[in-house]
Amino acid sequence: MKSRRLQAVGVLLILVWSLVPIYWALRTSFQTEADARATPVQYVPHHPTLDNYRALLTGDGEVPGQIRQAALNIVIECSAATVVTVVLATLAAYAFARMSFHGSKILFYSVLATMALPAYATLIPLYRIMSTFGLVNTYSGLVLVYVSGFVPLATWVLHNYFSSLPTSLEEAGLVDGAHRLQVLWHIMLPLARPGIISTAIITFLFAWAQFLFPLVLSSDLSTQPLTVVIASLQGRHVVPTTLLSAAGMLAIAVPAAIALAFSRYIVNGLLAGSVK
Amino acid sequence: MTSSTRPTRRRSWARLRTAQLAVGLTALATVAACGSDDPGGSDKTTDVTITVALNSEPPPQASLDAFERETGITVKWVNIDWDSLQTKISAAATANTYFADATDVDWSRVGQLGRLGWFYPMDDYLDTDAMAADMPQLASFTSDGHVVGIPYDASFMVTTINSDLYKKAGADANPATMQAYTDGLKKIKDAGVVKYPLNIPFAAAEGLSTYWYEATEAFGGTILDESGAPQFTSPDSAGYRAAQWMIDAMTSGLVPPGNINVADSQGQQTLMAKGQVASTFSDYSGTVGSLYNIPESSTVVDQVTYLATPGTDGPAANLSNPDGIGIPKQAKYPDAAAKFIEWFTDAKQQVDFAGVNGPEKALPAYAMPSHLSAVEEMTAKGDLVGGEVLAAMLKTSKPVFEGGAPAWYPKFSNAVYTNLHAAATGEMSVADAIAAIADTADQLANES
Repeated sequence: MKSRRLQAVGVLLILVWSLVPIYWALRTSFQTEADARATPVQYVPHHPTLDNYRALLTGDGEVPGQIRQAALNIVIECSAATVVTVVLATLAAYAFARMSFHGSKILFYSVLATMALPAYATLIPLYRIMSTFGLVNTYSGLVLVYVSGFVPLATWVLHNYFSSLPTSLEEAGLVDGAHRLQVLWHIMLPLARPGIISTAIITFLFAWAQFLFPLVLSSDLSTQPLTVVIASLQGRHVVPTTLLSAAGMLAIAVPAAIALAFSRYIVNGLLAGSVK
Repeated sequence: MTSSTRPTRRRSWARLRTAQLAVGLTALATVAACGSDDPGGSDKTTDVTITVALNSEPPPQASLDAFERETGITVKWVNIDWDSLQTKISAAATANTYFADATDVDWSRVGQLGRLGWFYPMDDYLDTDAMAADMPQLASFTSDGHVVGIPYDASFMVTTINSDLYKKAGADANPATMQAYTDGLKKIKDAGVVKYPLNIPFAAAEGLSTYWYEATEAFGGTILDESGAPQFTSPDSAGYRAAQWMIDAMTSGLVPPGNINVADSQGQQTLMAKGQVASTFSDYSGTVGSLYNIPESSTVVDQVTYLATPGTDGPAANLSNPDGIGIPKQAKYPDAAAKFIEWFTDAKQQVDFAGVNGPEKALPAYAMPSHLSAVEEMTAKGDLVGGEVLAAMLKTSKPVFEGGAPAWYPKFSNAVYTNLHAAATGEMSVADAIAAIADTADQLANES
């Protein structure tokens, strides 16, 4: 009983720690600049307004324009990275899980080992490579980097998923004359759909949260994602904190909605293969 | 570091688990590594497009168009926050990769940049000797005899006071010494005009370090000598007394308790703009006109004035912390970038940027010109709030470190603000904080 109470207190503390800053940004986003600066502090907005969101979504100013462009960029980059990662990881995971070839284990663990490398270690070489091939400040450059970063995790998740599926259906397909890709497409993919969805969601969320790589690899608004643009707006006296808070909430909204709506898939994906 | 975007945080690095590159990318890396490491760009100065990356709004398009007509150089402007910009500069220089033709050179990184050789010496392109007389803060950008960047605005630490609050308390609004200044603050507190009259940003961030440097100057000393040796270990030294004064101000209730988490720039200035404190000892030049007198951002319009920095026997010097602009070694068009810098930092251009010749020529949030002649011209026309005081301060402003910021400055500053913050929270004594800072300085100087 005592341990459950302690657990509840711990959970509560973590929730407060995590949610209070988000609440504060949410509160500020619904206030006018005057209310946000008012003394005493308004813990709940006295005159809630949607003006900041309206300005961001439909306004003509420089900042709303930047936010909209950055929102478009992040959607394009994350979506493209997710699609490419899932396709590559599915093929790789299936091969590692089901096909026996020379060096497959070494290759598989080599791919997994790359997850242990700190991001910094590859930033500078990647920057150099991207620059050499004219990929800095391009969608394709960023997507390529995201894919190289996320394929190992996605491969691992899907490998666990494929490994947990029974082999009998697959063997039946092979006996009936289907080749490997047909088996994958017609038999395994429908069975692995939950795993693929969870992999796609995890990849999308990770890509959405990126800051350092897009900061370095994109140099202007044509490719900078929301995370980088919001950071570049903070600290300027000319940008109201209320508007900045609304932009922050918009940046949170998409991943938060996805995480809430698909939490079951995310958990299942990460636990796949952990229980036999 | 500008007033609006100082490095008050160290952004946690993104967590991308970038893969070790497999066969294909390894091949690409090999190809890339085979590329030339030699810096070098085109000497073309017409019909080129240069990228300028600064933590600043762009100049008005009409001004950039005029520059283009005059020189044939098109400017692509990238406005990026200070922290991110420093990351980009470092990443690009380390990867020997182009990202801009002209970019930020912060005073605190001059030593580092000079040693690393990441920027072209500006004296190769401009007559910096001739510029020096009219640009006092150029001295902050000199490393090993070379000018690394040109200050594009003037920024130095100033003392601001809310004269209305001083008047209400019957306190001397013109204290010339630290003793008189402290007495005035106590009088304001005792009179109950404001509960906590003094602003000190005690968050463990860069602003706390610069506050201590200015306070040390006020107490008549310096932080480091030209060899980098600490000058603040003795209890009689200015640095020690400055630290003691700051901590005493906190413990005696002159400083708002919440300031333990307040960084400089916005946090500190907001308290001043709301009239919640009566004075900021180490504020930023230009804030009266650009912030405190703006009704949208301030409730103390026309109440805040600059005060000649109090010293031991009379006014002390103001320490410079300006932002400059320089040419990274990876620039594609260094000569064109130099032409742009010459134009961007020209006295006449700076007068335009300051809004003297109409808002259509102004550079938003521009602090004040780095050219003395421009400041004097603005003051004569009555276009600079507190111009006479600021012009006098600019004339006598001096670098934080006489020998230039040491290459190890960031680590030193980290030790300064970490230990002073700990002293303010009561976790350690002033003596221990000073000893820890001195140990760090000694260690860094010996290692360098």
